[in-house]
Amino acid sequence: MNALAIKSTIDTVTSLRGREFGAYLTETRYELIRMVRNSSIAIPVLVLPLALYALFVFVIGGEWITKDPGAGIFLFAAFSLMAVTMPAMFGIGVTLAQEREMGLLRLKRAQPAPPAAWVVAKILAGLVLAVVAYAPIAILAVSTGKLALAPGQVISMSAALLIGTIPFTALGLMIGSLTTASAAPGWANVIYLPGCYLSGMFFPLPKSMYWQAPIWPQFHAEQLAMHMAGVTKMQLEPVTMAIATMIGYTVLFAGITIWRLSKKG
Amino acid sequence: MNNTNDHRLHALDAVRGFALLLGVAFHAALSFLGGPPGTWFTADNSSNAVLGDAAFVSHIFRMSLFFFIAGYFGRLLYQRLGARSFWANRSMRILIPLVAGWAILSPLISYLWVTGVTKAFGGTLPPMPAMPEDFFPLGHLWFLYQLLLIYVAVIAVRSVIARLDPAQKLRGLVDKAVHGSIRTMAGTFTLGLPLAAALMSLPFWIYWMGIPTPDMTLTPQVPASVGYGTAFVFGWLVHRSSNALTAIAERWFANLVIAFVATGWLLHTMHATPMAAPGLTKTLYALIFGVAVWGWVLGLTGAALRFLSNYSATRRYIADASYWIYLAHLPVVVALQIWVSHWPLSWAVKFPMILVVSFAVLFASYHYLVRPTFVGKLLNGRKYSRKPEPTDPAPSPAAPPPADSVSGGPVAQLRGITKKFGAVTALNSIDIEVRRGELLAVLGPNGAGKSTAISLWLGLIEPDAGSVTLLGGEPQDIARRRGLGVMMQDVEMPKELKVRELVRLAASYYDDPMSVEEALRRAGLESLADRNYGKLSGGQKRQAQFAVAICGRPKVLFLDEPTVGLDVKARAALWTSVRRLLADGCSVVLTTHYLEEAEALADRITVITKGRVIASGSVDDMRALVARRQISCESSLTADDVRGWPGVIEVSKDASKLSITVTDAEGVVRRLLAADTTLGRLEVRQAGLNEAFNELTREAA
Repeated sequence: MNALAIKSTIDTVTSLRGREFGAYLTETRYELIRMVRNSSIAIPVLVLPLALYALFVFVIGGEWITKDPGAGIFLFAAFSLMAVTMPAMFGIGVTLAQEREMGLLRLKRAQPAPPAAWVVAKILAGLVLAVVAYAPIAILAVSTGKLALAPGQVISMSAALLIGTIPFTALGLMIGSLTTASAAPGWANVIYLPGCYLSGMFFPLPKSMYWQAPIWPQFHAEQLAMHMAGVTKMQLEPVTMAIATMIGYTVLFAGITIWRLSKKG
Repeated sequence: MNNTNDHRLHALDAVRGFALLLGVAFHAALSFLGGPPGTWFTADNSSNAVLGDAAFVSHIFRMSLFFFIAGYFGRLLYQRLGARSFWANRSMRILIPLVAGWAILSPLISYLWVTGVTKAFGGTLPPMPAMPEDFFPLGHLWFLYQLLLIYVAVIAVRSVIARLDPAQKLRGLVDKAVHGSIRTMAGTFTLGLPLAAALMSLPFWIYWMGIPTPDMTLTPQVPASVGYGTAFVFGWLVHRSSNALTAIAERWFANLVIAFVATGWLLHTMHATPMAAPGLTKTLYALIFGVAVWGWVLGLTGAALRFLSNYSATRRYIADASYWIYLAHLPVVVALQIWVSHWPLSWAVKFPMILVVSFAVLFASYHYLVRPTFVGKLLNGRKYSRKPEPTDPAPSPAAPPPADSVSGGPVAQLRGITKKFGAVTALNSIDIEVRRGELLAVLGPNGAGKSTAISLWLGLIEPDAGSVTLLGGEPQDIARRRGLGVMMQDVEMPKELKVRELVRLAASYYDDPMSVEEALRRAGLESLADRNYGKLSGGQKRQAQFAVAICGRPKVLFLDEPTVGLDVKARAALWTSVRRLLADGCSVVLTTHYLEEAEALADRITVITKGRVIASGSVDDMRALVARRQISCESSLTADDVRGWPGVIEVSKDASKLSITVTDAEGVVRRLLAADTTLGRLEVRQAGLNEAFNELTREAA
């Protein structure tokens, strides 16, 4: 084998790798473009958490925060978590259900698309949307001094919140794989909203309801945020428990999704 | 009976590789368990109970899984090679690695043992505990020794049975029992019984150890021989049974659920008492241990069959590497464990580090020292050249199927395909093939099975029986699918994307796509390139889908009802494009209701009705098959006048125009002219494909 042949083999291999990578990139890019153009999903997901945060921090809870800086952290974590998880639930879950109904998933399986490309694209696009939804809340909180955390803590908490989207992405995919396009938003709400209240994310729970909080993924995502930001006062479970539960939920939801998609497509 | 489908072997290879690599992780975890020093080479200063539990769980099933797969491949090899070559092959792959591996590794391992234990005891080597009389430091290569023992025993028993049961009656019953035990899941609960009995009889059974490892003696140990022997024999029998693998694949989830539940109970009980006196708990523990073993073995094998059946170059590589890696891993892993054991770091850092470094070293040694050399040939039966190979789907140990996709050979085939959906048989043992550069039209009424046939070729569904070939391989293989283009029915593309973007996205999947502009031009869409898909008319959407289908310069193009909703001009443009693709050597499979489309484009036509091929041939063949002709004329005769005439099959009258389908055109024309002297506009023509098609499908109905 001469040097030229070796070079051409290497070129072929690298260009193949590059093509596969290119497919992932193109898929992600168009997924984002679709989200931007499809403002009917994007706008409520982006605006709602920010508006609610502003309402609670400046109007309803203003005095409470001045008295107890912990309340500011609590409200920030709550609405930030809402901001980062809603794109996963509603953006990814609902579009997956739609695409299944459109037959698009069947087409993608038939085409030589890299099998994981569309999932990766959806997850990345969901993450970008999560960042876009989260950034205004973070900027608002920090610039108005309603968040009593050091810059390092804010960064840690931001990272935790983004990691926290993973089980919700899996949950969104599961809903999208199990329901029809018209039912998906309904189911997403039915599963998502009770968790926001019952996990103690929006308001502190009475003691009698503590037992059920760990059922909800929101609880563990918030706990992870509190641990990573080092807010000891609001750490209700060990960090290993929060991580383990989030991994467990992710595996469960993703497992059901894969099982369902492999059966029904 | 030999039921070795190549794609199943891919899955089983993956399972074997997984079991071996899991062993590396298991050994890497053993210094972090917090046990007393002296039980393993070294004891790390950071330990973790969860890691201990994880190691225990992996240890429940990893070797049983290995022996189960070894049994399956054992029989496969025995059937394929015959007794003499089988033993020659096993000597090369098992006996030589055992002897050579032991000779090389055991001094290293002894040295590491002394070093590690000395370090763990703070610098002084403690006195060695008393060894049994038949002590022999077999080390982690015990599994090869055990495997050889089992080969000898099983093949001896096999030859006795073959003599006693010449008509295969007994063995037929066993095959049924094997299949039934998997289907009903009775096997999950009963296959562990012999092992449970052996474990119960152990005077000192530490739960954590599972099946005591027979690594200190050459004398066969009862629990290991019984447990791994059962696994091997069942694997052997699964290979005998024609449909046992399918049943395993179907029950993967249920078996894993059982494995989870049983394992949960084991963990819970073990935490309470790590080693119990004989009694109810020990008995129950042994029984449930057996259930856990088989839940994992059948569940993991089933899951692999379900999800990892397609060929993957990466998995193939890892599976090939796993044997070497397992043989060579222990000194590497242990040396790292000893090195880091006193570092003031958490196990959560050290354990992953050991894994990463070990695997890096072991994979590198495989890639450069084993794969391209005689060692690789010895271990895996195959020496790879060092240059990266193009995606080679040749499965191992199966022989590569001849892939003939060049000049005139079939580019896509369905052979003996049966596919059922519940009680409905969509396809009933059909054979269809598409040759290079031809257009095959598949005709049939709704629900005939046309789209099912296409879905099989696209790899979307799998047949219940028969084989599907696309470009010389399996359609699930993505490398094959890079040669296809597809336009499906009932598919909507994302409405927010522009036509140009849809084509660009599809083109990104292919190796050598045409330019987006070219694809748009061929589909007649240049003027609509920047319009959102959602704003296109129905016909324009089909054109956009056509552009998506052809943009990758496919070798085979599947068009499922492509021209529904197109206007005359767009349809003609699409036909022109299809002809051009054919001229370039592309093969096309077209399903259609528009018979003129088939007549205009097809080289061959296959008619399907109710899941069967009822006719197949060229357009002319089809016409000749039904030698009927159509007479039309303007006449004062009524339909009833003509209906009874000999040679007349069907008559209809529309205003003054009489249409008659006949078998004897000359006779009927003569009689018409005689009966009606005013008759005009007489026309006799060959029945079009339309009629032929109706005729064919009516006869089948």
